[in-house]
Amino acid sequence: MGWTLVEGATELPADHGVMAVSISGERVAVFRVQDEYFATGNVCTHQFALLNDGFVEDGCVECPLHQGRFDIRTGKAMGSPVTEDIPTYATKVEDGQLYVDLDRQAELADTQSVALEDKPSADLEKSDGRRFVILGGGQAAACAARGLRDANFTGEIVLIADELELPYERPPLSKDVLLGTASTQEATVLDRQAVETLKIDLRCGLSAVQLNTGTRTITLSDQSTVEYDSVLIATGARPRPLPIPGADLPQVHELRTGEDAISLKRALKRGGQVAIIGGGFIGMEVASAARKLGCEVTLLEAEGRLCARALHPRAARYLHEIAEASGVEVRTGTRVSAIEPHGSVVQLNLADSEPLLADTVVVGIGVVPNCELAEAAGITIRNGILVDRFGRTSANNVFAAGDVATWPGSNNAQLRLESWHNAQEQALSAAKTMAGIETAYDTVPWFWSDQFGHNIQMLGLPTPSDEFYVQPASQDGGEVIYLHDGERLSGVVAFDNTAAIRKARIWVSQRLEVSTLLGFLKTASDSAGDTRVSPENRRKLMNNPAQYYVWPEKGLRRIPDWVYTDPAIYQLEVDKIFHGSTWNYVGLEAEIPEAGDFIRSNVGPTPVVVSRDEDGEINVFLNRCSHRAAEFCRELRGNNKEFVCPYHQWTYDLKGNLSGIPFRRGVGGKGGLPSNFIASDHSPQKLAVTTRGGVIFASFDLNMEPLEDYLGPRITEEFDATFNGRKLKVLGYYRNTLPGNWKLYHENLKDPYHATLLHTFLVSFGLLVAGNEAEMICDETGRHGVMASAKSDAGKVSEEDSKEMRAYNAELKLKAPEMLDFEDEFDSRWSVTMMTLWPNLIVQREMNTLGVRQIVPNGPNEFVMNWTMFGFEGDTDEQQRHRLRQGNLMGPAGFLGMEDNEAMKFVQDGMKHSLAGEHLIEMDPNTEAGTADTLISEAAIRAMYKYWRKELGIG
Amino acid sequence: MLKENEANQGEAGIAEDTLLRTIEKFNVEYCLALDEGRLYDWANFFTQDCRYIILSRENFDAGLPVGLVYCEGRPMLEDRATAILETSMFAPRYLRHFVTNTFVHYKEGDEIHSGSNYLLTQVLMDKPNATMHQIGRYVDRFVHEEGVLKLKERQCIYDNLLLENSLVYPV
Repeated sequence: MGWTLVEGATELPADHGVMAVSISGERVAVFRVQDEYFATGNVCTHQFALLNDGFVEDGCVECPLHQGRFDIRTGKAMGSPVTEDIPTYATKVEDGQLYVDLDRQAELADTQSVALEDKPSADLEKSDGRRFVILGGGQAAACAARGLRDANFTGEIVLIADELELPYERPPLSKDVLLGTASTQEATVLDRQAVETLKIDLRCGLSAVQLNTGTRTITLSDQSTVEYDSVLIATGARPRPLPIPGADLPQVHELRTGEDAISLKRALKRGGQVAIIGGGFIGMEVASAARKLGCEVTLLEAEGRLCARALHPRAARYLHEIAEASGVEVRTGTRVSAIEPHGSVVQLNLADSEPLLADTVVVGIGVVPNCELAEAAGITIRNGILVDRFGRTSANNVFAAGDVATWPGSNNAQLRLESWHNAQEQALSAAKTMAGIETAYDTVPWFWSDQFGHNIQMLGLPTPSDEFYVQPASQDGGEVIYLHDGERLSGVVAFDNTAAIRKARIWVSQRLEVSTLLGFLKTASDSAGDTRVSPENRRKLMNNPAQYYVWPEKGLRRIPDWVYTDPAIYQLEVDKIFHGSTWNYVGLEAEIPEAGDFIRSNVGPTPVVVSRDEDGEINVFLNRCSHRAAEFCRELRGNNKEFVCPYHQWTYDLKGNLSGIPFRRGVGGKGGLPSNFIASDHSPQKLAVTTRGGVIFASFDLNMEPLEDYLGPRITEEFDATFNGRKLKVLGYYRNTLPGNWKLYHENLKDPYHATLLHTFLVSFGLLVAGNEAEMICDETGRHGVMASAKSDAGKVSEEDSKEMRAYNAELKLKAPEMLDFEDEFDSRWSVTMMTLWPNLIVQREMNTLGVRQIVPNGPNEFVMNWTMFGFEGDTDEQQRHRLRQGNLMGPAGFLGMEDNEAMKFVQDGMKHSLAGEHLIEMDPNTEAGTADTLISEAAIRAMYKYWRKELGIG
Repeated sequence: MLKENEANQGEAGIAEDTLLRTIEKFNVEYCLALDEGRLYDWANFFTQDCRYIILSRENFDAGLPVGLVYCEGRPMLEDRATAILETSMFAPRYLRHFVTNTFVHYKEGDEIHSGSNYLLTQVLMDKPNATMHQIGRYVDRFVHEEGVLKLKERQCIYDNLLLENSLVYPV
């Protein structure tokens, strides 16, 4: 074919420039290093990825997908995970242009190595007389054989593989082989040529049946014996059998061997319903392939979450989501009790639900290590063959590596890893140690999976209770989860982001301090939780939130950011709290005194209408037309006889009943609704209603306990002190948005600690000082609270107390001090009570300025606050004006209210703009959670989260 | 809209124009003081017995008296100036007032009843854009004090009922 001009190559950057070209249909990568040019194949030999997208450094190109490295001069695969070299092509520069010849290999300045083949050791003819035996035919065995030769071992290598195939790796079996885009041959890691070049005595179809460590003899399944100087046990693992009736039916598959893969591929190609038992990585990858082949897939996982053993809950949630987005029905917490024949298909009997029919069943519930041989030989077993960092077992000259070996890990956790990378690296260090070069296996564990069109990679060994920072998807790639134990980085999980894994490898190996990590990740990131949980997936996903959200180990004294920022948590709150068994404030009776009066309101984010009907009863129902969902009531308040949806004039009476449907019977005998349509079945959803002291509450739970029981005695007492039977008179409204999580408002009023510090005004004029008589009252459940204090004279502030109050300023005096006068009109020892009634009401009794505040949440990061300020019927003009003047303290422009709103915005900003972390809630350790008799306490916040976690089911 | 001078011509018309211009000039100086953060100067635009209320159109239309800010008498304005300048905690921000469509409604004795539309923009330090913080109208009663025009009452009635988080400075 001869020389082909490559245009533009000479304009590549001199420092590690790379470009992709196509020459006669071949994908070629052209590299420039100073004035030298190199051309290689552009496709990684591991899995399909273009090398020109990778990183070039130190004369190597690193594949962007799994970080396999190739020498760009020789094409040589530089180790894990790549084993096969890439082709190289000759280059020349003429007249300032680069030419490449595909027919010629690159000529090397030093021709010591030949790119495409294993290096035959020059000394192999002169054996040193030793014999090393390798048991096993997988990745670890093949890698060890190569590793022995690389370490210049010249003795005999006997490789005993129990399958008839040449040694092969398993990752393609659950991916390309199932899809038919690769054959099992392509998974071979030690081909005939390599066996010959490396002088390996390969004995396929045999297994070891006995190991005598005294005589150093192995008995094989054909009764022959082999003596050894050293032996490496790399016998791997076998699928864990499914211990239920019917597991042996022909429709039931497992996936471990090449044979398994071929048989499963045939089954999947037939399409139909596939049931996968086990939501680990094998199950997920098979699910991915089955979906691609057009099968309907149901994945059954007995645990509460996917990949429970291998993956941090936060990452598992992501997998759950992408599997569902790809059309897999994921059912966690589901056990299969039996499989029965059912015509040509099988029926899976499930523990808690209807049976499931399937054409094909795949079992992937983990593996058991093949360590019986070692066990019988008296070698120490700990869930696998226990080895040290060098692969040495408890018996002399016996080594083990790969799936079968249990490895000390960092801090001697004794882990048995089942990854390709572990097989490779552990086998390599064992082989080198066998050959006399002691090499410890202490690389950072690394794992990858490809499923549903996504690449997932994990570094390190994080634990489920680790805390995490999330870097959201960006143009560099998908989401990255950095896991840490509070002090140091323990692992990284990245989705479609190989660049992040590449960068993090060294950080994980050094167990980077969290503060340093933050510095490295300083690029502003919205670490505020996963915003990509699609609404339709949330509900299914959140069946068991405890499986996906792990509370910090420090318990009540910490609140993780995701509580305030995660959209899935917010959705859960709407379902379980606002739409659950709670009494929600919706309005005041004074707003709807007459029949036909109504107001628009909300329960949680959900719009409702509050109306008074002809019988004087109060009704609360959804502001949603039964016909086309229109929010039919548009006015803030008013009076009418019925509600008419403006779209098609469907009509609702004051009780919320669907009372009129235009053209219900059609026109001229044609059209209209079916004759059996019953209008009364289609009224908007009605809520339970209760009132107390002129305040109206509603609940989606029609069996709610009485309000008095819901509030508990202490809170009821304080509630009644404010709403003491006098008729309320509405004085007006404030409405504002607040860019913070709705719970922050509760917390602000369960946090008396902030009052003397944030609110200089309050302190300057003696309304609240650290020495005031005060109490932070909680109900038994921890959900409600009252922050109560009694006004004192600023002149009485002791010197000691004033020192504690940063804000105290004896110089400041009001020109119109009557604004702060307190007319004692309540039967209460408190001049101020701020009541938080779960989940959406604040009752403000700030001396004589009174109001209720309704929280209307709008996603995790914002809520609307509706303030209704009131006085009492019969107030004199002067009394009312006093309330209005004192009202300058509160509301979004009030001296106190404005500061609270600002501070809460700052808190949310901190979580949104900085890296994710935790809040420290440690004040007042003597009260774990509940009522506190000191202002310097956060015990009420702890009480609220104790309750919140119980309600949401988050450990 | 002019009740007393519907013809709006001759000497009366000229006097009307002069008054309108005086009020417009007053508003320019009023806004300048606020935009520059001179809050004690701002208080001086009012009479000693003034009323100053910022209230939503919702409340105003319903005859409900509650205001985001509710001040009776200049001392309350001065207290608010002190609170904002000395004690309040809030994120730094710039506000800018735009006042248009000023008109004189009618005169009643010494009092001039007039009005304007206003637009208040707010810039926070962490966002590139100015937000329309309030849009509304002033409903005013002016008097002359020693020849100087002063506000006896200013009601700032805002249309956008849902306030963005907080209102720090006067309108």
